[in-house]
Amino acid sequence: MSVVVVGAGLAGLTAATDLAARGVEVTVVEARERVGGRVHGVEAAPGSWIDAGAAYLGERHTALTALMAQVGLRTTPTAMTGDSRFALGDDGDGRTRPGRFPPLSAVALGELFDALDELTRAVRADAPWLSADAVRLDATTADEWAREHLRHPDARLFFPLFLGEMMAADPRDVSVLHMGFYLRSGGGVRYLNAFAGGAQEDRVAGGAHRLCELLAGRLGDRVRLGEPVRAVHQDDEGVTVTTTAGSLRARAVVVAVPPSLADAVDHHPALPVPRSGGRTAPGCAVKVHLVYPSPAWRERGLSGWSVNARGPLLSTVDDSPPDGAIGVLTGFVTGRQAHDFARLSPGEQRARAFEQAVRLFPGLPEPTGFHVTDWVNEDYSRGCYAALFGPGDWTRLGPHLVTPHGRVHWAGTETSTEFFGLMEGAIRSGHRVAAEVITTYDRRDEHV
Amino acid sequence: MNVDAISDIFRRVLENDDVRADSDFFVMGGDSLLATRVLSAVARSWGVELDFDDFMTAPTPDALAKKIASTA
Repeated sequence: MSVVVVGAGLAGLTAATDLAARGVEVTVVEARERVGGRVHGVEAAPGSWIDAGAAYLGERHTALTALMAQVGLRTTPTAMTGDSRFALGDDGDGRTRPGRFPPLSAVALGELFDALDELTRAVRADAPWLSADAVRLDATTADEWAREHLRHPDARLFFPLFLGEMMAADPRDVSVLHMGFYLRSGGGVRYLNAFAGGAQEDRVAGGAHRLCELLAGRLGDRVRLGEPVRAVHQDDEGVTVTTTAGSLRARAVVVAVPPSLADAVDHHPALPVPRSGGRTAPGCAVKVHLVYPSPAWRERGLSGWSVNARGPLLSTVDDSPPDGAIGVLTGFVTGRQAHDFARLSPGEQRARAFEQAVRLFPGLPEPTGFHVTDWVNEDYSRGCYAALFGPGDWTRLGPHLVTPHGRVHWAGTETSTEFFGLMEGAIRSGHRVAAEVITTYDRRDEHV
Repeated sequence: MNVDAISDIFRRVLENDDVRADSDFFVMGGDSLLATRVLSAVARSWGVELDFDDFMTAPTPDALAKKIASTA
């Protein structure tokens, strides 16, 4: 049996690995000149790699840890010591505080987390469109929800920062149903938010991209780079996948790309239901890395963690290698700020990021390196962390998320109701689709 | 009498029924995010807005009840 996998991100590579292990003749076609998709590494200094895309994992991410063990990768703890910096006032000046708790009214934050907890419990994780109140929750945006549920000014101030960090979303872009689903799918507000004991407990040692490279290495010349897929045409006997370099013939196809990219392919027969809706938006994340000779903030008792209301870096985290040979400060530009920042010239991006970093961490020298990864405008990702489902999307698209379209089967983190939007979701979708393909066509082979 | 009501808040937020009057919230698995939910419940029930540092110095139902009484 032959299968073509479209997309060499974690989902596609996992599916291809499982299929190859079962003796399937598999070919992976990837548009970019690299594997990994939204998992991507940047070399900050010779031999020192940092995650420009997906980065974190926690102990509940069992499929990811199992896959890492298979290829011999280890984790690095994200544990941070030292005080945090918070610039949440209008003046933009930072305040230093122990721990990660922002200097806002605890009662206000409690109001926010109570409301989110209540919402999260009201959403069915396995099928959000079947939640008791799905139609109403899918009709409003998270922004409208916040105006209705949050009374305290500090709660309203913190909510967009929180949502930006949790799901790279502007509250106007996502439905309440999607917000509740995303939080539930990831293990709840508390698990998703936490470093220690949560979804940001560890990073992949050497960079998450190593996982994709090692999986691709094992697949060898079954992975073809630089071949964007233009068309997927089905007939009675099989499927023809047309790329910019030619065409491939297979028994079945696994499409493991984000929803709006899956829609951009010419499907024949046409898709009965699109993969994305009119309100589906790209995840709004730009990741910025400032590289220094050393993590100098540590000498001042600071952890490198900061939360900032004005941006462009809405939060920063110390991503220096474990040996501290260089200092790496990672800045997250999310939500509305991501679009604004992406429009600036490289020089302006640099100036704004440098200026903010030195205001947060006084005494920092000029960075020796500067990297901007703009996921919003990446042609072959269209957003990061994941597609943002807007009002109406879940109730319309949800029931068809994993339903095969003839010989076309779907994977990608957006098809996983478990850990949606995370590396873990991508890997689980890859295992699921491989099993689905094998079950479907093995059975047919027996009877044909 | 606040002690019982506060213990109930702890139980709900921690999702743990084994809370006693002298149980330390943070030893029982509480963290700063969950602490805010205790403080919002306290504000709703007794109209007292405590901050995070208040809770850090009074992390048991017993101590928190005294803190509320002295603040109200």
